[in-house]
Amino acid sequence: MNIENTKAQMKKGVLEFCILSVLSDGEHYPSEIIEKMKEAKLIVVEGTLYPLLMRLKNDGLLSYRWEESLSGPPRKYYKLTPVGEQFLKELEITWNDLVEAVNKTINKQ
Amino acid sequence: MNRTITMNLSGIIFHIEEDAYDMLNKYLSTIKGYFKDSDGRDEIMSDIESRIAEMLQEKVSKTKQAVLMNDVESVIAVMGKPEDFAGESGTTENKESTAGENKTYSENKGRRRVFRDPDDKVIGGVCSGIASYFDFDPIWLRAAFAISFFVFGTGLLLYIILIIIIPKAKTTAEKLEMRGEKVDVNNIGKAVNEEFEDFKKRMKNFGDEVKSSENKERIRTAAEKFRDFVGDVFFNMLQIAGKIFAFIFIFIGIALMIGLMATIFGRGTISIFDSPMTSIHFSIYELSSAVLPNDLPIEFVVIGLILFIGIPLLSMIYGGIKYLFRIKQKNKIVKYTANILWLTGLVLLTYVGIQVGTDFSEQATTKQIISISQPIGNTLYLDMKPSAEDDLDVTYMHHRKVRFGDWTMISKDDKSFRLGYPEMNIVKSETDSFELVAIKSAQGFDKKDATYRAKNINYAITQMDSIILFNSYFDIEALDKLRAQNVKILLKVPVNKFVYLSKRMEKIIFDIDNVNDALDSDMVNRKWIMTNRGLECIDCEGLENVHKH
Repeated sequence: MNIENTKAQMKKGVLEFCILSVLSDGEHYPSEIIEKMKEAKLIVVEGTLYPLLMRLKNDGLLSYRWEESLSGPPRKYYKLTPVGEQFLKELEITWNDLVEAVNKTINKQ
Repeated sequence: MNRTITMNLSGIIFHIEEDAYDMLNKYLSTIKGYFKDSDGRDEIMSDIESRIAEMLQEKVSKTKQAVLMNDVESVIAVMGKPEDFAGESGTTENKESTAGENKTYSENKGRRRVFRDPDDKVIGGVCSGIASYFDFDPIWLRAAFAISFFVFGTGLLLYIILIIIIPKAKTTAEKLEMRGEKVDVNNIGKAVNEEFEDFKKRMKNFGDEVKSSENKERIRTAAEKFRDFVGDVFFNMLQIAGKIFAFIFIFIGIALMIGLMATIFGRGTISIFDSPMTSIHFSIYELSSAVLPNDLPIEFVVIGLILFIGIPLLSMIYGGIKYLFRIKQKNKIVKYTANILWLTGLVLLTYVGIQVGTDFSEQATTKQIISISQPIGNTLYLDMKPSAEDDLDVTYMHHRKVRFGDWTMISKDDKSFRLGYPEMNIVKSETDSFELVAIKSAQGFDKKDATYRAKNINYAITQMDSIILFNSYFDIEALDKLRAQNVKILLKVPVNKFVYLSKRMEKIIFDIDNVNDALDSDMVNRKWIMTNRGLECIDCEGLENVHKH
C-alpha cells in the first residue's frame, strides 16, 4: 500500500463535495473557489480544479455565466443548479453520517 | 537583450520572451496531451488558458511590458504540473486513459532514465526496469539472468551490482521517467535534429554577435562564445565516445569476470602459452595445491584471488553501467566495502605468499649412491628410456602439465608429480669401478624439512648388461609440495675405461668437462675415454677444428 496514493484517494472523494459547498453561498469564479480550497489545503495547484468543474457542469450540477473583467479576459461565474443544490444536500447528509461513523470506529479503539 | 514574441492568450495580447514562450507552449501542449481523450478538453484548455492570461496580466505593467521566464515559471507553479492533476482530480474518464496520458506526457518530458520497477518485480525489479528502458518484455532478461546465475554465479554478482547502482523508481515522476521517451531510431533522429536546429541557432547568434560587434571587447566576447561553442561540440563528442568506452568496459569486465569465476570454480584446466617452451595445462586448484603448504587452506588462495582480481573487475562493470545509464548516485558504503574487500584479498594473497616463501628458507642436499654392476667390457653405454610414455615432452590429454623452459612438471594422478629434467655430469672415478651418484636437493622451512624432502625424491635407472637407461624425470610425492626439488646425476668413470653417449642423452647431460672442449650437443653419438686429463673423444675427427677455442 502506498500512503500517498491512499491519501490522494481519500481527498479525491470529498473534492467534488467541497466545490459544491463553496458554491452554496452564491456565484464564484474559479480563482475564488481555488482560494477557499487552498486555505483548507484541499488542493495545492489550480490546474486540478478545471477538469472537476467541467465534469460537474456536464453532469448538470453547475451552470455558469460569462462576465466581462476589467483587468483581463472574461470570467466564468459558476453557480449551483437546482439539481446541484439537491445533490449537495444529499452529500451533506452522507458526509455527516460518514464522519459520525468514522469517528465512532476510530474512538472505539 | 532578448527577442520577444507577440502572443494571443484568451484574447489578450502579450509580449513574451522567446524562451518563456517555448516553456509556456510546451506546458500547455503537455496538459492538452493529458486530456487527450476527455470530453470537453477544449473547454478545459480555454479555462486554463484564460486563467493563465489573468495571472500573466498581473505580472506585466507599464514599466515591465514583457513576460519573462520566471513569470511563466511562477504561473506553472500555481497551476501545477500535469501529473499533479492526475493525482488529485483524476475523474473516471481520466483514470481510464491514464496510461495513454502518461505516455503523451512523457513524450514531451523527454529523456528516459533507468530505474528499478517496484510495481513489476521478481527480486529487485532490475530486469523490468532495464526492459522498460529498452522497451522489451522483461521475461527474456529474467530468463537470461536466471541462466547466468548458474554460470559460476556471475549473473548473481551482476544482479547485485545492478540492484545497488540502479535507483528504485519511488515517485510518480520517476516512474514516468522510467517509461519516458522511447530510445529508438526515430528519437535519436529527433534528438539529432533538435541538436542541429540548436546548432544553427547558435551559429546564427554567433554570426549576429560578430556582425554587431563594434569594438574589441565585443569581439573578445564573441571569440569566447565561439570557444564555448567548440567546447560544447567537443564535449558532446567526448560523451558519445565515453558511452562507447563504457559499453566496452562493461563487456570486457563481464567477460573477464566469467573467465575468473570459471577458472576458479569450474576447476577447469587453463591452457595458456601453449608453446613447446612454455605451457600451462593445470587448474588453479591443482597449481595452488602443488605449491601451498599442507596446513594452509586452499580457500585462502581462492578467496584472495576472487577479491584481488574480482573487485577491480566489478568496479569496472559498476563504473561502466553508471556512466552508460547516467546514474549519478554516489554510494560511499559500496565504495568503502569494495576497498576493504580488495585489501582483504591483497592481505590474504600476501599471507599465502609469505607462508609459501618461508617454506623455501633452507636448502638441503643428500647423496644417494645408485648401485650398478660393472660392465663386462670396458665400455658403459649411456642411453635414455625410449618409451614415449616416459617422455616429458609429450603431452597427454589426461596429464596435467606445466612447463617453463627446461623445467617441466607432469601430474598423472593426485599422489605424485613427475619433474624434469635431471642434470647429468661425468667425472673421473677415484676407484677402479664405475660409480653412479644421485645428488638430490630440495628446500624447506628448516634444514630438517628440506633434507626430508630431498630424501623423498625418487630417481631410478635401469641397467641391461653394459647399457644404462636413464629416466628423464624424477618423482616427488604430492604431499611434499614443489620445493625446488632437483636431481644431479654424477657418473664416475675410472681412468682408461670408455663411455658411449647416445643421441638421446643430449636431454640430460649438462656442461660435461672434456679434453676436446666439445659442447654437450657435440658429445652425443660418440665414444669417450677417461684419461688422467679428463674425458677424451676417440671418434671425433674434425671436431677439434670446429670447437677448439
